[in-house]
Amino acid sequence: MNLVLFALGRLASAIPVLIGVTIVVFLSVQLVPGDIALSILGRMATQDQLEALRESMGLDQPLVVQYLRWFGALLQGDIGMSLAQQLPVAQILLPKIGNSLILMAGSLFLVLVFGFLLAVLSAPRFRSVTDRLVVALTLVLASLPVFWLGIVLLYFLAFKWKLFPISGMYNVINPGGFRDLIHHLILPATVTAASSIAVVARVTRSRMIDVLNEPYILAARARGLTRRQIVLRHGVRNTLPTFASIGGLQIGYLFGGVVFTEIIFNWPGVGLQLYDAILARDIPMIQGCVLVVATVFVLGNLVSDVVVHALDPRND
Amino acid sequence: MTRLTFRGLLHSTVLGLALTAALPALAETTIVVAVEADFSRMDPAASRTWNTFKVVRHIFEGFVEEDLTKGGDAVPEIVPALATSWEISEDGKSYTFTLRQGVTFHDGTPWNAEAAKFNMDRMTNPDFEFFVPTAPGLLSWVFMDLAGYEVVDEYTFRIDLKQPNAEFLRRLSAGGSGAPRMVSPEAVRTFGNDGIEDNPIGTGPFKFVERVVGEKVVIARNEAYWNPDRMPKADTIVLRGIPEVATRELSLMAGEVDIIGTPSPDSIETLQAQGAKIVTGKSPMFYVLWINTKDPHFSDVRVRQAVCMAINREDMAKFQRKGFAVPTWGILNPGGPGYDPAFRDCEYDPEGAKALLAEAGFPDGFETRMDWTFGGGSDVNTKGDAEWLQRDLEKIGIRSSIEMFDNNTFWDMMTAGMREGTGLTSASWGESTFAWLDQVVTTTALPQNCCNSGYYENAKLDQLLSEARASASQEALDAKLHEVRDIVAADMAFTSYYAANSVYATGPTVTGFVLAPQHWIDLTGVTKE
Repeated sequence: MNLVLFALGRLASAIPVLIGVTIVVFLSVQLVPGDIALSILGRMATQDQLEALRESMGLDQPLVVQYLRWFGALLQGDIGMSLAQQLPVAQILLPKIGNSLILMAGSLFLVLVFGFLLAVLSAPRFRSVTDRLVVALTLVLASLPVFWLGIVLLYFLAFKWKLFPISGMYNVINPGGFRDLIHHLILPATVTAASSIAVVARVTRSRMIDVLNEPYILAARARGLTRRQIVLRHGVRNTLPTFASIGGLQIGYLFGGVVFTEIIFNWPGVGLQLYDAILARDIPMIQGCVLVVATVFVLGNLVSDVVVHALDPRND
Repeated sequence: MTRLTFRGLLHSTVLGLALTAALPALAETTIVVAVEADFSRMDPAASRTWNTFKVVRHIFEGFVEEDLTKGGDAVPEIVPALATSWEISEDGKSYTFTLRQGVTFHDGTPWNAEAAKFNMDRMTNPDFEFFVPTAPGLLSWVFMDLAGYEVVDEYTFRIDLKQPNAEFLRRLSAGGSGAPRMVSPEAVRTFGNDGIEDNPIGTGPFKFVERVVGEKVVIARNEAYWNPDRMPKADTIVLRGIPEVATRELSLMAGEVDIIGTPSPDSIETLQAQGAKIVTGKSPMFYVLWINTKDPHFSDVRVRQAVCMAINREDMAKFQRKGFAVPTWGILNPGGPGYDPAFRDCEYDPEGAKALLAEAGFPDGFETRMDWTFGGGSDVNTKGDAEWLQRDLEKIGIRSSIEMFDNNTFWDMMTAGMREGTGLTSASWGESTFAWLDQVVTTTALPQNCCNSGYYENAKLDQLLSEARASASQEALDAKLHEVRDIVAADMAFTSYYAANSVYATGPTVTGFVLAPQHWIDLTGVTKE
């Protein structure tokens, strides 16, 4: 019950944040230089045609009026019409959100598994060779730019050794099922996960090192528990809240990070859509994409807060 | 009599098995084409970008068509499409089209003069129920001289112009900024204008199958297509936008796609080593240099001439595009009307340029700025071009900084006019028609209109371009355009530096892919062995 109340409280406090997000999204696009009418009608349009279009789109109205109209429509699930496609943004975006969430989930899985394993592997062996290797590895992972790592992995794993497909989510000609999806998912998920694995591993490792230096660990050792028992029973249990917290934070980062990965791997998600929309200056589509990324960020943090709360032994 | 041997038996069995295995491939040929960006709208009247027209022109047709099936360097011939023939009145102002009979749209709606009128209304009549509001802006280059149109009888349709337009048929066959192509009236009535995006129904050699925005457009052979010469060889074509060039190239080499647009010039050798075929063709696209005639330095024509003389175009074409380009001079583009490869608006002469600068009062040169675009589509390393020009100009004493902008911001700036302090700017343009010159050199295109961005004012050019449109013959048209070219060269308001070839790479088994000198391609002859 306590947990449900906590979750509801966090959700309530997320609402003003989300409203703030809509304002920032709306305004940030207004600040972008450039004329929407010009990007719809093209260079061949005359000044009169441009004026007429601006008027018909309500672009001549004050900003506040434009925002309230936009926000009102948004509450009814209407993010507007894509200027480049003349299709509802929501219709285009919904499947893309699913695709990006798949990529994010794949990455998150790798982040949690490898982040945790690296921490458990290194922390109990503080300053050993293993520990130093893990620290070095995480430093490398954290420093690799996504676009570089992506192209290098593509070249070797997909092109040279033909272990994975190059691009897309399914085979274009003969789309396979779940296996085809996983096969396409591994490389982009790895690339997206790389730097987050490092972050999670490093933070979890330091927390575990702290935990393992606590007096009660010394007491446990005095009681004759083996190192494995101490790490698993006390170390892991007391590190979990930190792990969940830093892991949960990655949800937002990963979802934002898929923008780069999606372009490199041509993964048909929100990121690739955002890129296309920016190139086409498709304002409603840009707003939709940014809104989705921001919302996932906020909700991701909310989920992680709740999980941390549930895992914290002090709340038992 | 042949002896039946074990080996013979084995051979025939293996051969038989191999043939059986090959059968499914023979039954269904799918070609995957990857271009540089995702597509805009499928409704031809509202579609934009050259890449989108690569799709649209296979689904929809107009009265006439450019024949892109043969490739080669010659300007593509205008051939009959939904009109079998046409008559142009003595005064050049009236076009009477005899429409092809027995043609139906992909949904079974018959093609006739009523369908033609429906589409003309859709594109040009603001009072029409299914008028496309963006069409006049996008299509003004086609219908700028339109006076009216009329159904003469079921298979005869007439279009009247206010003044003759020597390029009218060519403009009717083109696209990229809107496309004057025929949509099924029944489809528009059923699905509404916006519904055409999901139900693009035309008469073309391919039918629309599926579109996933941001992912792919799938088109399949129209078995009932009227033109046996353009009956598609492949069953299905999947068109994808893959913006990242390295991914496009790797996808081709891995066999995931069959044809890619604009591989990086640096990758050509690698692609060939992997068995890919490189197909190149002439393109109407060339790089125009705008010079700010209001700038205190460049307001002197001698300084502008010095810029022209400072550019080593031959080397630039050779090294910037690894030879997949030709140097250009002046304001007329290869593949466009009136182009003369022998024309020069200046000769490469850095010493002479320096002398001209000194004469203009800048013996020690001066500092200026270049505003540049990263470009899009088939632009490659435009920043490299800017740096090349920066180096060439520095040799004559003009020291310039470079500022790069994304394409949208860049064209907004061009519409506003070149900034104070910016002396030079450049972008790719050029079409198979000269419609684009109306947007670049005329006084009607001065800021705040696009794109006479260097404030070059010469009303004589407006007059000449209008006369060029009204020319009775191609020769007369070319002569007018030569006048335009020579005036621009004398004033040195614009020059150009190279025209890039279209470059595509195909998989080793792809056949029938040809390039004509145009921004778009014909995929009807493409298949796989």
